[in-house]
Amino acid sequence: MTLPVPLLAALAGLAMAASQWLIWAYAPVEATLGPVQKIFYIHLPLAWWALLSFGVTFVASVLYLLKKNIRFDLLAGAAAEIGVLFSGLALVTGSIWGRVSWNVWWTWDPRLTTTLVMWFIYAAYLLVRGLEMPRERKATVAAVLGVVAFLDVPLVFWSARLWRSVHPAVFASKEGGLTGEMATTVIACVAAWFFVWICLLLTRRRQLLQQERLLALQQTLSARN
Amino acid sequence: MLRAALIIAHKDLRLLVGRSSGLVQAVLLGLVLLFLFSLSQAPGQRLPAQSAAAVFWMASLFCEILVVNALFFVEESQGARLALTLSPMPLQAIWLGKALASLVLLLLAQCLFLPASVAFLGQSFSGDVWPALAMVLLADWGLVALGALLGALSQGQAARESLLSVVLFPLLLPLLLAAVRGMTQALGGPPEPLENWFMTAGAFDLMFTAAALFLFPYVYGGDA
Repeated sequence: MTLPVPLLAALAGLAMAASQWLIWAYAPVEATLGPVQKIFYIHLPLAWWALLSFGVTFVASVLYLLKKNIRFDLLAGAAAEIGVLFSGLALVTGSIWGRVSWNVWWTWDPRLTTTLVMWFIYAAYLLVRGLEMPRERKATVAAVLGVVAFLDVPLVFWSARLWRSVHPAVFASKEGGLTGEMATTVIACVAAWFFVWICLLLTRRRQLLQQERLLALQQTLSARN
Repeated sequence: MLRAALIIAHKDLRLLVGRSSGLVQAVLLGLVLLFLFSLSQAPGQRLPAQSAAAVFWMASLFCEILVVNALFFVEESQGARLALTLSPMPLQAIWLGKALASLVLLLLAQCLFLPASVAFLGQSFSGDVWPALAMVLLADWGLVALGALLGALSQGQAARESLLSVVLFPLLLPLLLAAVRGMTQALGGPPEPLENWFMTAGAFDLMFTAAALFLFPYVYGGDA
C-alpha cells in the first residue's frame, strides 16, 4: 500500500498555514504569560507525535521479530528518527516555556523527565542502528531494543512522579484553563502537525527502503565483477 | 533450565573471579568513583544521605556494565558462543546463568562499596537498614536481568562499555530512583514510606524478567 505523499504534503502545507493564522490572529494572547505562551501550540503537537512515533517503533519492532520482514525494521527506524527529532524539539520549546512560566529551565516534572529519558533511550537506539554488524542481526537487536524501550516508558513516568511527590508542588503543571479559542487552536495545531509527521515518516521510510535496494544492487554488482 | 543456568553461572564465575578483566577491574572502578566523589565535600562536611546513595548506585551501575561485558566477552573467542547456543538447553538458560553470575559479582562488589561509601563519603547506617537491604536485592535483580539481556546486544562491538552504558542507564532510571530512595533511608535520610518504591522496583523486575525470557533468544541466537 502506498499512501500519496505529495497529496499529504500539500495538506500539511495548507494545515500548517491555517494553524499559523489560528495561533497568531485567532487565539488571544494569554493574560499572565504574554506572547510566549504561543510556543505551547508548537510544543504540544511535537510532544504528542513524538510519543506516537515511539509507539510506531514499538509495534514495528514486535512485527519485525514475529515476521522477519525488513520493511518493519525500516519503519521502526524511520519512526524512531522522527520521534527523537520531535521530542528533542518538544524539550527545547518546553524548556523555553518553563523558563518563562516556572522560572526554571528544567525541573523534575514527570512529563519532562519522561520525555528527556525517552529522548536518551531512543537516541541510543539510533546509535545501535548505526553500528557495523550483519544486516539481519542489526535489525533483530534494534527490534529488541525498540520493544524494551517502549515497555520502560510507563515505569519512567510513574517513578518520576513518585520521586517528585515528596517535594512541595511549587511548579504546578499548567495544562488546564484553556479558553475555547485556545483549545480550538491547539486541536488544529495537533491535526496540522499530524500531516507533517506522516509525510516525514513515509518519506523517510521510502528513503531507507531505497537505500537498502541500492546497497543490495551494489553488492550484486561487486560480486559479479 | 535452572540446572543449566546454574552450570553456566558456575562456569562464568570461575572464569571471571580470577581474571584482571573481570571482577577486580569492576570493583576498582567503583572504588575510585566513590573516592573521587569525596571531592564534592568541603573539609569537615558530610555528603547528604541522598547524594551518597546516588553515588553508591552510580558506582554499582558502572561496575555492572564492566561485569556484564566481561561475562559476554568470555564466549567471543574460538566460536564458544556458537557452541553454547548448540548445547541442548533453552537459550533462556544462558540469560539466567549470566544474570545469576552477574548478580553474585555485583553483590560482592557492593559489599566493598558500602564500607567505602561510609569511609569516603562520611556516611553512617543510622536509618532503617532492613528495608534498604531488600531494596538492594530487588534493584540488583532488575539491574542484572536487563544487563544480561542487553549485554548480548553489544557483543563484538568496539567501545562496548560506553555503548552498553548509553543504552542501559536511561532504561534503568525507574529502578535507580527506587534504589536511591531505599539507600537514603538506610543512611539516615528523612523517613518516608517505601511501599510505592518497592512496587516500582518489583514491577520493573517482573516486566524485564518476562521481556528477557521472551527476547533473549532473538539477541543471542540466530546469525552473527
